[in-house]
Amino acid sequence: MIVLQAMVDGLSLGALYALIAVGYTVVYGIIQLINFAHGEVFMVGAFGSMTVWLLVPGQQLGLWMLPIMLIGGMVASVAIALLMERVAYRPLRNSPRLAPLITAIGVSVFLQEFVRLFYGRIPGFPDAKANVTFPTIEGVTGTAIKLGGLDIDRPTIFTLAALIVCTVFLYLFVNKSRIGRAMQATSQDPDTARLMGINVDRIIMIAFAVGAVLAAIAGTAQGMMNTNINFKMGFIAGLKAFSAAVLGGIGNIWGALVGGLVIGVLESLATQVMPHGSAWKDVWAFVVLILILVFRPQGLLGARVVDRA
Amino acid sequence: MSLPGIPVAIRRRYGPVARIVTIACGVIIAASAYLPWAYGSDALDNVTYVGGPSFIQFIALGMGLVLPALVVCSIRWPAGFGRTRVGWIRGARALATGLLIIFVVIAGAISVQLGGTININYGAWVGLAAALIGFVATRFLVQEGAPTVNRLKTPGWLSILAIAVVMLVMLFVAYYALDQSNPGTFVTFIVYTGVGVAVLLRTGALGWLTAATGAHRRVMLLAAFLVAFLFPFTQGGSDANMSIAAQVLVFAATAMGLNIVVGLAGLLDLGYIAFLGSGAFVAAMLSGTAMATFDVHPPFIVTMLLSGCVAATLGLVIGSPTLRVSGDYLAIITLAFGEIFRLSMNNLDGSDGPDLTHGSRGISDTGDLNLFGFDFGATHTIAGIEIGRFANYYFILLIWLAIVILIFSRLNNSRIGRGWVAIREDEKAAEAMGVNVFGLKLLAFASGAFLAGVAGSIKAHVDISVTPDSYVFLQSSFLLAAVVLGGMGTVLGVLIGATLLQLMPEKLRFVNEYRLMFFGLLLVVMMRFRPEGIIASERRQLEFHDEDEELAERLDDNLGPSTGAVAVEGASR
Repeated sequence: MIVLQAMVDGLSLGALYALIAVGYTVVYGIIQLINFAHGEVFMVGAFGSMTVWLLVPGQQLGLWMLPIMLIGGMVASVAIALLMERVAYRPLRNSPRLAPLITAIGVSVFLQEFVRLFYGRIPGFPDAKANVTFPTIEGVTGTAIKLGGLDIDRPTIFTLAALIVCTVFLYLFVNKSRIGRAMQATSQDPDTARLMGINVDRIIMIAFAVGAVLAAIAGTAQGMMNTNINFKMGFIAGLKAFSAAVLGGIGNIWGALVGGLVIGVLESLATQVMPHGSAWKDVWAFVVLILILVFRPQGLLGARVVDRA
Repeated sequence: MSLPGIPVAIRRRYGPVARIVTIACGVIIAASAYLPWAYGSDALDNVTYVGGPSFIQFIALGMGLVLPALVVCSIRWPAGFGRTRVGWIRGARALATGLLIIFVVIAGAISVQLGGTININYGAWVGLAAALIGFVATRFLVQEGAPTVNRLKTPGWLSILAIAVVMLVMLFVAYYALDQSNPGTFVTFIVYTGVGVAVLLRTGALGWLTAATGAHRRVMLLAAFLVAFLFPFTQGGSDANMSIAAQVLVFAATAMGLNIVVGLAGLLDLGYIAFLGSGAFVAAMLSGTAMATFDVHPPFIVTMLLSGCVAATLGLVIGSPTLRVSGDYLAIITLAFGEIFRLSMNNLDGSDGPDLTHGSRGISDTGDLNLFGFDFGATHTIAGIEIGRFANYYFILLIWLAIVILIFSRLNNSRIGRGWVAIREDEKAAEAMGVNVFGLKLLAFASGAFLAGVAGSIKAHVDISVTPDSYVFLQSSFLLAAVVLGGMGTVLGVLIGATLLQLMPEKLRFVNEYRLMFFGLLLVVMMRFRPEGIIASERRQLEFHDEDEELAERLDDNLGPSTGAVAVEGASR
């Protein structure tokens, strides 16, 4: 039973990682860039939905607030992701590999500090230097649902539902829409894609935006799961989501989804089953990351052979 | 520097007028030093007097007088001396730009420190206006070609004299900057220093200095070491600055180790602080104090070597994936290792694992070192000057830094160092040429880690306590930033980078809240505009190929500031 419960908890955690991981993998698939600051996009998404909730008068907690908050989070994270791409990554597109990685660290530190220092300065907003309590929206938070001896948390249901909906939309978007096909073409061969009349710069921006939309959903879900958010939440979550993307095969969207779920379940099992699991769970996650990178860098679904000199 | 220029025809026409205006502006700036700049005495170093310039104002006076001097020289010796071309106008333009920046900074500092621009007195406005007009006027001057002062044959005694002067100036700059408790004065002084260096660079004097001192490398190094050694004696027994200086040295020694891994071998390491941390923890565990978790207390020399070896072993472990992984993936692996180190140190507290580190509380009270009867915790009096606790550690850290620099430069100029550079430039080609790629990569990780581990063992005693919180990812990124901002693969650049990154937060307490944010911004801006760092490592190529005239010519041209992009392409790819 403990194992089953751990698997259920792991699925919700995994769905979260999967949603973030898509952002890494989409961008990587197109320009072979590890957007190290994607964890911060996730964090900004969470703060974006928090902001919208604060702006709506009367501290509304009805379920109808949820879509409004999600949209707010998406607007914030997409704006940040696009700005990041324009200011920090686009000028460095032809520079050595080291450069964008260092810029990404800079962007990451900057965004964390910016939120930490200035979020609380807005009148009526809580101080973001410590944890910020996230609103408990009715229906998706509250007492867990009992199902045959298993406790299923309400945020889990939301997160899994969000993952399923996002997967369907992502599938339709990537395979059926013109833009999606253009993304696939760019990822296969940017130069030829450009010759075929695809605006590669625009495709790259769309890739950043798609990742940001999913990250915003994940940010909101995280807020409801932990009942609070903080400016540091993006670092560890981003790192684990990156592990998920690599585990699934970076560049492969479906791989990111699978990888996210696998990492989530593994982490949850490690917490429950291994001795002193909760203290060491992050260590196990990183050990898994290292082992995958060393022994199977192409990931589970093996999108492309990684040859990165 | 690359502002859209004014057409040469217009410059020719108005050049004479512009010269007169520039000279006048320089004189006015110099004169403004005798006027009051602020209404309150708390801004800068009290710039309220009429007729009695403060130190900050004196520097403005000096710089103001140099501007007309440069213009007059450009009229008197337009072609330089003989076949040596001097960048008179280049220097004047840099100086005018610099003076404008200086006066903006000064006006800003006064208004921040006293609360509002209302507190700026007429002297500063006069200076600012003159600097602005001077800046515009110098844009109308036609600048000469790239200076060739560095080709001047310099007699030996003059080079050594130059080295002595440079070293004394550096000692004074370090002394004065550290002595400032007023952040406004500190910032202004740093800007002055930057402008001074820029003017030297543009006139060609810096090129001459580099060439002259390069010929006497040993003397230069010895002099630098001597100056650093003398530094504690300028502090008059105060230990406050020495504590900062000791931290700077720890940081610099560690950054130097990272420089081997990133700068020479081109392997990005995002978890480097773990090596410093492991050294510190080993030393703390063996320190023999009440909190130490091992009941063994070897002499410090043994502990030091052991710390280095433990760190080097970790380096081998972290380096071993390089057999299969490179590039971004390797960076992520090192980052993961860094996190594993931090988490493990937090968990080895007795409840979640064996009690080695006391978890997040860390090991405190590591005690002071006592080497050959010299007690590092006590104050000693040498030549009538008191040398405090941190000054004692400063000396041992300085010796260690010297050893690190020696190891670094010896490795760099050896077969191993050339192998590393070959791997960095093109791994496949290096392998085809018979370079032992995997072995050398491991060696880079192990030797870099060893240097950091030893630094960590000293740091454990300097800091008195060792906690996992001091060895987090942010510290790793600070180290990386020091290497990248200073100039990867260079000694001087990394030293400058480490000093700036460690000194700034200490002296800029008023922006302490914002310093991380500025740090993030700085990384982005630096990567965008000068990814090769403050000191470009391409300069080193000249040392290797000093008989190759053509390369020397090309590099010489590349070293001009407007062609930074070309230098990047070659340097960091």
